[in-house]
Amino acid sequence: MRMAIQGIGITGGFGSGVETLRTALQTGVVTTREIDGFPAYHANIDGLDEFVPKRSLRRIDHLSKMTLLSACQALQDADSLDGDRSRMGVVIATGYGTLQTSFKFLDSYLDYGYACSSPTHFSNSVHNAAAAHVSMQMQATAPSLTVSQFEMSVPSALLSAQQWLAEGRVDQVLFGAVDEFCEVLRYCRENFFGAAEQGPLQPFAFSEQSAVAGEGAVFFVLTRADEDATYGCIDKIMLGNHLACSVKLPQDDLLIIGADGHKECGSLYEQLLNDREVAAYAPLYGSFPAAVGFDLAAAAVSLRDRTIYASPESAGAADTAVLSPRKLDRQGLACLKFGGGGDYGLIRLSR
Amino acid sequence: MICPKPTAITGLGCISGAGLDLAESLENMFSGKRNPQPPTKFTTDHAVASLVLELRDEFKLPLDAQETVYARTCQLALAAAFQALTDAGWDSENLCGKRVGVCIGTTVGCALNCDDFYRAYKGDDIPDIGIMERFLRSNPAAVVARQLKLDGPVQTVVNACSSGTDAIGIGAAWLRAGACDIVIAGGADELLRLTYSGFSSLMITAPEPCKPFDLHRKGLNLGEGAGIVILENESLAGTKQKKGYLRGYGSACDAYHLTAPHPEGKGLKQAIAEALSVAKLRADQIAFVNAHGTGTPDNDKVESRVLDAVFPGIPFASTKGYTGHTLGAAGGIEAVFTIACLNRGEIPASIGFSTPDPELPATPVKVNTPINGSAALSESLAFGGNNAVVIFAKGDT
Repeated sequence: MRMAIQGIGITGGFGSGVETLRTALQTGVVTTREIDGFPAYHANIDGLDEFVPKRSLRRIDHLSKMTLLSACQALQDADSLDGDRSRMGVVIATGYGTLQTSFKFLDSYLDYGYACSSPTHFSNSVHNAAAAHVSMQMQATAPSLTVSQFEMSVPSALLSAQQWLAEGRVDQVLFGAVDEFCEVLRYCRENFFGAAEQGPLQPFAFSEQSAVAGEGAVFFVLTRADEDATYGCIDKIMLGNHLACSVKLPQDDLLIIGADGHKECGSLYEQLLNDREVAAYAPLYGSFPAAVGFDLAAAAVSLRDRTIYASPESAGAADTAVLSPRKLDRQGLACLKFGGGGDYGLIRLSR
Repeated sequence: MICPKPTAITGLGCISGAGLDLAESLENMFSGKRNPQPPTKFTTDHAVASLVLELRDEFKLPLDAQETVYARTCQLALAAAFQALTDAGWDSENLCGKRVGVCIGTTVGCALNCDDFYRAYKGDDIPDIGIMERFLRSNPAAVVARQLKLDGPVQTVVNACSSGTDAIGIGAAWLRAGACDIVIAGGADELLRLTYSGFSSLMITAPEPCKPFDLHRKGLNLGEGAGIVILENESLAGTKQKKGYLRGYGSACDAYHLTAPHPEGKGLKQAIAEALSVAKLRADQIAFVNAHGTGTPDNDKVESRVLDAVFPGIPFASTKGYTGHTLGAAGGIEAVFTIACLNRGEIPASIGFSTPDPELPATPVKVNTPINGSAALSESLAFGGNNAVVIFAKGDT
């Protein structure tokens, strides 16, 4: 069943809001921010108090704030900020969940003893806390689902959103993807990748490690495609393991690849792309599991604008890479992401 | 809403403090045996220890040589999956080439269990980065899929304590959508110092064996384990003996509080109504209910009110007195128990319950109780206001 994308909300290293994403796609320039000499794409949550009273945000952490901001933006973009939410499902994909709060919870007992563990940090460290905050703020009483599967979180969770709509469990799904950056993650990435994390992120340099960490949240308002779609439709979602059974790419579709500077997955993209026309936008928002949702947003904006935007980095790119913007003359786009161990997710979109 | 045909369940597997397989679990439950004790696998400085239900020491991880490769939650999921697949007549060879999905619910399976790493990170020691590498390898559903070399949809559900129940409902939807032909579905969670300290901080754990629905209930006992069912589409299940059928699934969110259930059980009632509607059953056609029944004051009060309102006079029991609260695994384990009890025609005494609470309008069974009927319901309530319900029908006799 096709799902229509009716609204998008997004916050990431390039700024906040779908038109800011479009500006980033047009200019191809986003600067990272360095902390202790380590660059990363940091998201901000400015503007959240336009949607949610400050008082309600007192005990809500950074991940849930990013979540709430982009969820509200998506509803606003879909002209659905007000109204009955009893038939709106909430589905959230997150690779790591709430890192900062999880470590604050550990701080509470490592610093002061187990008997002093913080109940507030504990309850906010549970993976579905962000979805709970969305449901509570929106009074969304339909089903709620959080999926956590590293890079495959987005395509896997999207499959459930699609089935809820197909089976008539809900009339609308507020679908989101979110991940946050934290100091411990920086430490781990430095250990794993060393100086390679200094950037620039070069998605087409498949054999190089060039990932730069990012964070952010993106939300989509999805309906059954019997309604007109503002951005386009999600036609198909495929998940599998490329090493167990090769991924079958849709013929003729332009591919937006989730290559984000991790050489472990780079070779898988390289094998598949032969003469394919491809674009990659990770240099606009960085490397993090939920970035698959950002690729999906870039694809949706491209469909709406009937324009395929230039990939911001050309290093290592083959002739078939989209390196300058042009009219999108095809019906379909597909977002392809490889994760660890050959797992893949493929999301096909069309007008 | 679409009301699908019942989904065939061809295999069951479970591991918990109640027993290392289904047969042992049933034997212990029906003879009223349980063994809550202070945790033995970790220490804390709590003045009074809360009791937990750990797996017996005889439990062997299925991948002995890879104990440090995957987190214990993944190993529990694999162990229960192997039991369930064997029960269904599948092994890694005859699964080859089939479209097999894996949907596993968990809570701590996706949490960063890295006390030792983080303690070193905060101090002057060099943290063992291997702990983080293990975390990155240890997504429960992905591990099961990779170990069995499966090709199909994979999902790890993190809906807190309703995760296992949700995973079964989601897995069945994959079959209906034609996304795969077999689904390995359920829940898995290990017992950790992290969750032990977290639940203790919320002051909802008990220093004595838990007493779901009892006047003197003081909180929950945490547990660990995994429960897995094998779902198959009609063409594959064919003439195989069916252990049971999934008739309905419903879920809803209270949208009320991060940790407390809605006082009137609004979301739970909605989830029950959806599951009954999908199953095309009336409430009075339900033979018994496997209640969430954690033994916490709030949960049991809300659940009792809902059971009294929706299922008046229908027997119910909590099995958490035998297993402990296994969080994301609970829905999977209790699904397996619900099907097994339906087939047996009897439910075990709701252990720990002896004195009715005047504030609770419905009370569970005190003794092993025969049941009549061919359908039963299992419900899960969770942090985040999630409520999930599954309805099963009896298997082939």
